[in-house]
Amino acid sequence: MASTTADLPAASRGLNLRKPEGQWSIVLRRFRRHRLAMISLFVLAMIFIASLLAPILAPFGRDATSLAPRFSPPLTVNAQTGTTHILGVDHVGRDFFTRLLYAARITLSVAFSVATAATLLGMTLGALAGYFRGIVDSIVMRILEFMASIPDFPILLIIASILITDPKLLPYPPFLLDIIGNLMLLNSVGAERAQVLTMIVVLTLFGWTGAARLMRGMVLSVRERDFIESARSLGANNARIILRHVVPNSFPPLVVAYTLSLAGALTAETALSFLGVGITDPTPTWGNMLQFATNFMLTNPWVPLIPGIPVVLCSLGFNFIGDGLRDALDPRLKM
Amino acid sequence: MLNYLIRRLVVIVMMAFIISFASFALLYSAPGGPLEQLASLQSTTRRPDPDEVERIMKRYDLDLTIGVRFLRWLVGHPRGSIVVGGQEIAPNLQVGCLKPGKAQLVYPDGRIEEIDCAKPVYLRDLGGRPVSNGVITLDFGRSQQLAREQPVSQLISTRLAPTLLLMGLSTFLAIIIAVPVGVYSAVKQYSRFDYFFTTLAFFGSGMPTLFTGVMGILIFALIFKNLGLPYLPAALAESNRDVVIPLFGLIQAGSVGDRIWHLILPVSVLTFFSLAGWTRFIRSSMLEVLRQDYVRTARAKGLIERVVIMKHALRNALIPFVTLLAGVLPTLFGGAIITESVFSWPGIGKLFINSLVASDYPVAIAYLLISTFLTLVGFLVSDVLYTIVDPRIRMS
Repeated sequence: MASTTADLPAASRGLNLRKPEGQWSIVLRRFRRHRLAMISLFVLAMIFIASLLAPILAPFGRDATSLAPRFSPPLTVNAQTGTTHILGVDHVGRDFFTRLLYAARITLSVAFSVATAATLLGMTLGALAGYFRGIVDSIVMRILEFMASIPDFPILLIIASILITDPKLLPYPPFLLDIIGNLMLLNSVGAERAQVLTMIVVLTLFGWTGAARLMRGMVLSVRERDFIESARSLGANNARIILRHVVPNSFPPLVVAYTLSLAGALTAETALSFLGVGITDPTPTWGNMLQFATNFMLTNPWVPLIPGIPVVLCSLGFNFIGDGLRDALDPRLKM
Repeated sequence: MLNYLIRRLVVIVMMAFIISFASFALLYSAPGGPLEQLASLQSTTRRPDPDEVERIMKRYDLDLTIGVRFLRWLVGHPRGSIVVGGQEIAPNLQVGCLKPGKAQLVYPDGRIEEIDCAKPVYLRDLGGRPVSNGVITLDFGRSQQLAREQPVSQLISTRLAPTLLLMGLSTFLAIIIAVPVGVYSAVKQYSRFDYFFTTLAFFGSGMPTLFTGVMGILIFALIFKNLGLPYLPAALAESNRDVVIPLFGLIQAGSVGDRIWHLILPVSVLTFFSLAGWTRFIRSSMLEVLRQDYVRTARAKGLIERVVIMKHALRNALIPFVTLLAGVLPTLFGGAIITESVFSWPGIGKLFINSLVASDYPVAIAYLLISTFLTLVGFLVSDVLYTIVDPRIRMS
């Protein structure tokens, strides 16, 4: 074996040593050039790690109240335990830093669950509609048209307010509640888990249309290409054609849409919780923390900054990463 | 064109009917209505008084079956037994049940019938009941919680002016700023100006109004006030009493100056947010047009650049803009729910969110129906405008 390579001319051996640059490394290189996206990725990674390590990093219990006076300023030392309230204490004496960490975990988990579920649902419906046309397509298209011609935010608010005031209205399988509860470290007593799950379901129901429309358009343009024809002539069935040929070719815009829908889900959840028709206290989210903060901001002006800054960092971060991915994945899409 | 219009109008009416039925079904199944409020009021002291429960059920039609309730809500009928030519039709048709339970009906001829209702309601019983004129005549009934017994339409009309002012002003400002900025960005693509405003637009659209609003209050209302600088009000549309602001002097409560003073912060927040979208739209639309052949032709025949940009490019770039303008219609009415909440702005968006938190569903449904109708009309208007500004497009 060794002799076969050894007797080749040295020059030709050198030629084939460097592999051609793969698609993903090109994408990575282009993405790295987007400075704001790289900064966002770093900031979001920090927030993400902090939220993962919430139970370890948090100096106090999530709902534990301390005897420190309400709205003690940042860096107040707790008289009982000697631990420092890094960001101070909220309106009932709970540690702000602790609640911020748990809220990060809940808010980010909701955003990721909603974006993932909505994108998958939209992709499936869009792909089916675009690939099979006919009755499936017209049903999906009618639903999309209907969703486009209704004012979605007010309806979202109405449905959320009805379902969330009575979270037991929807029958959830217990294992789903357990997954949600363990992921977001929720109390198993009370309706906390059902409320968060309701939020995910409601936002998903309103969030899938963009992905569906995108996917349908992509499938419609891809399905007429020659390589689909050749795949079919080689004996591939519909499922294989969709999963192995159509979906990968529609990937770039979907990845971008997914990142942007993360930002959308995050701001939607924050807005609902802020307006009082979302996840309610004592379950901490940035939205309901901001709601309480604005009630007390006339006397304690620093308080709204605590939940406000992470909201805006994440919202901007997801947007910038989406923008960076758009530039990296498909330069033609550049704004 | 006429055919198209008729077809679209039929679709609008159908959609409005579907939405109104769906929203009514929501209203029907929603928890936290007047009965539950009564129960929660009374549970601390005594059990709900059966007479009072019946009175409330009658007042809000809670005892009627959903079909009858929907009809009364939609068109304001039936009101008692139907009289045709002096003859009562079906006065004994059961339309609801005041008190569930088993009961026996004993007929004069000795027949006994078992029914599932202890106190049935018949068509003739609806005679003296208060009823709205129906949603069709824009009578949305009366508020149940926020302002007891006040007509919803009155509640909405008092909130209309502040919302129109806020939304109209911020949309107008956003467009006025976005058009020149977008055009200049496109003409000088990749220049420092373009880069700056594209990034600014990105920040504007990426930051929720929730955050910018709260930060605006923090900086311009609280910190400025503490520093003794001229500050802006944190909430409401006008002051309760006269205020003296540093360097500016007295502002009388309720005067024009006072109102403008209250408008500055919320309008700025909304303008900054919507500016991003408009600018980006104008810029990309303009970039698209600048690549067209007729722009090159215009340049080639020696027209000065200003004419090429303003007459040949901009006019064509504004065509798709028309579709966006139509989308503004429902938001002008609906207001910015979040911004109005942050600034306690006495507008329709704030009314809507208050009605949801208080489970005052007639108000919420009225808001929803009007917004839906305006959205549908907006689509129609934009389609029609499209054919007017762009003769290449024909509706069929």
